[in-house]
Amino acid sequence: MIAVLGLVVGVVAGLLVQPEVPAAVEPYLPIAVVAALDAVFGGLRAMLDGIFDDKVFVVSFLSNVVVAALIVFLGDKLGVGAQLSTGVVVVLGIRIFSNAAAIRRHVFRA
Amino acid sequence: MSDHDERPDDRLRKPLPPWVPPADRPGKSERPAEPAEGAPGEPTAPPDAPPPARDDAPLPASDDAPPPAPDAQPPAPDDAPPPDPEPPAPLTGRERLVNGLWPPRVTRAQLIVALLLFGLGFGLAVQVASNSGGDSALRGARQEDLVRILDELDDRTERLEDERQGLEKQREELENSSDQAEEARRQTLEKERQLGILAGTVAAQGPGITVTIEDTMGTVEADMLLDAIQELRAAGAEAIQVNGVRIVAGTYLTESGKSVSVDGNKINAPYRFQVIGKPQDLEPALNIPGGVVQTLEKEQATVTVERSSKIVVDALRAAKRPDYARSSSR
Repeated sequence: MIAVLGLVVGVVAGLLVQPEVPAAVEPYLPIAVVAALDAVFGGLRAMLDGIFDDKVFVVSFLSNVVVAALIVFLGDKLGVGAQLSTGVVVVLGIRIFSNAAAIRRHVFRA
Repeated sequence: MSDHDERPDDRLRKPLPPWVPPADRPGKSERPAEPAEGAPGEPTAPPDAPPPARDDAPLPASDDAPPPAPDAQPPAPDDAPPPDPEPPAPLTGRERLVNGLWPPRVTRAQLIVALLLFGLGFGLAVQVASNSGGDSALRGARQEDLVRILDELDDRTERLEDERQGLEKQREELENSSDQAEEARRQTLEKERQLGILAGTVAAQGPGITVTIEDTMGTVEADMLLDAIQELRAAGAEAIQVNGVRIVAGTYLTESGKSVSVDGNKINAPYRFQVIGKPQDLEPALNIPGGVVQTLEKEQATVTVERSSKIVVDALRAAKRPDYARSSSR
C-alpha cells in the first residue's frame, strides 16, 4: 500500500515540479525508466509468487537502472547508441510482458 | 511465453515438495526477473532450502540471483510481508496481493519499495512531461537524427532562398514594367499638357507681354491684327489670347462691320493681347522700324507694350476632333 502510494506521489511530484532534465542525463532517463518498470513488474510478480524480498528488489531495481544507462552510454560512445537502446527496450519489453503475463495469471487466474 | 510461465506458476501453487529434484529447476530459469529470489519465499521446504539457493546461483538470466540468494534467507521471515505468516496453507497470488495492499503496514520493505517507486514515478512523469513539451521532436532526438534534420533544414533553406530570389527578380521586373508604364503615362500627360497649350485646350501662364491697341478712330482692321499675331508668333509667342479669345493655329480673323471677329467672336477695341513668350524677344519684334507698332500708329492707333513676369492665358477652346485628318504615325 505504502509502495503504491509512493508511486502515485512520485508521479504527482514529477508532474507538479516539472524539473528541467539535465542534458547529461537526458538520453538515459527513458531507458532507466523502462528498466525500473521492468524491475517493478518483476517485483510484483515475485510478490504474487510469495517470494518477494525487499533487498533483492532494491538491488535489482538499482542494478537494472544502472546497467541500462550504462549500455546506452556505451552504445553512444561506440556510435550505436540508437540501435543499442532499441535493443535494451526490446529486451526489457519482453521481460515486462512475460512478468505481466504471470501477474495476470495470478490475479485473474487466466 | 504463456506455456513457459505456466509451469513455474503451477509449481508454485503447491508447496515445493522436498523431493523435487534440481532437474525441475530449468523451468524456473524461464522466469526472467525477480522470481529468482525464490529462495527466501520458500520456507515451506526447510530441508530443501540449501538446494534452491544453489540452484539460483547459476541462473544467468536473472539479474539479481547470485548475491541475494544466500543472504536474503535470514531477513526473509520478518521482511517478506505476505507469504510468511501462513506457511502451512500457501496463499494464492491474488490473496497475497490483497494482503499486501490492504492493511497498510509500515515496514522497512514497504518504505524502501515506496522510495524506489517514488523515484520511478518521478522519472516517468518528468520524462513524459519533457517529451510532450513543444519541441519534443528535437528533445528526444539522437545526434544522428539531429544532424539529418539539420541537413534537411539546410537544404530546405537553400531551396526557399532560391525561390525567394526568383520571386524577388520577378517582382523587380514587374515593378520596372509598372514603373515604365507609369513613366510613359506621365510623359503622355506632360505631352498632352504641352500640346493642350498649343491647341488652346488648357490654360497657361508664364512670362510675357501685354499689348494694348487703342483704336479711337476705328481704323484698325482685321489684317493689322493678323499681322500683329503673325509677328508675335514669329517672335516665339507660345500662347496668345486677345480680348478673351484664345488664338490657336486655326484661328481666323474677319471684318464684321466696324469691329473684328476672331473665330466668329466679335471683339471691340481696345484690343488687348496677352502673350506668353520671352518678353525680350517679343517686345522688340513689335517695335522694329516699319513693324507692327509703327504701322498701327500710322493709322492713328496707340499701342502700348508692357512686359510682365506673369501672364495668364486662361481663355480656352474646345478640343475639336478632326473629321478627316488621322494621325499617320503608327
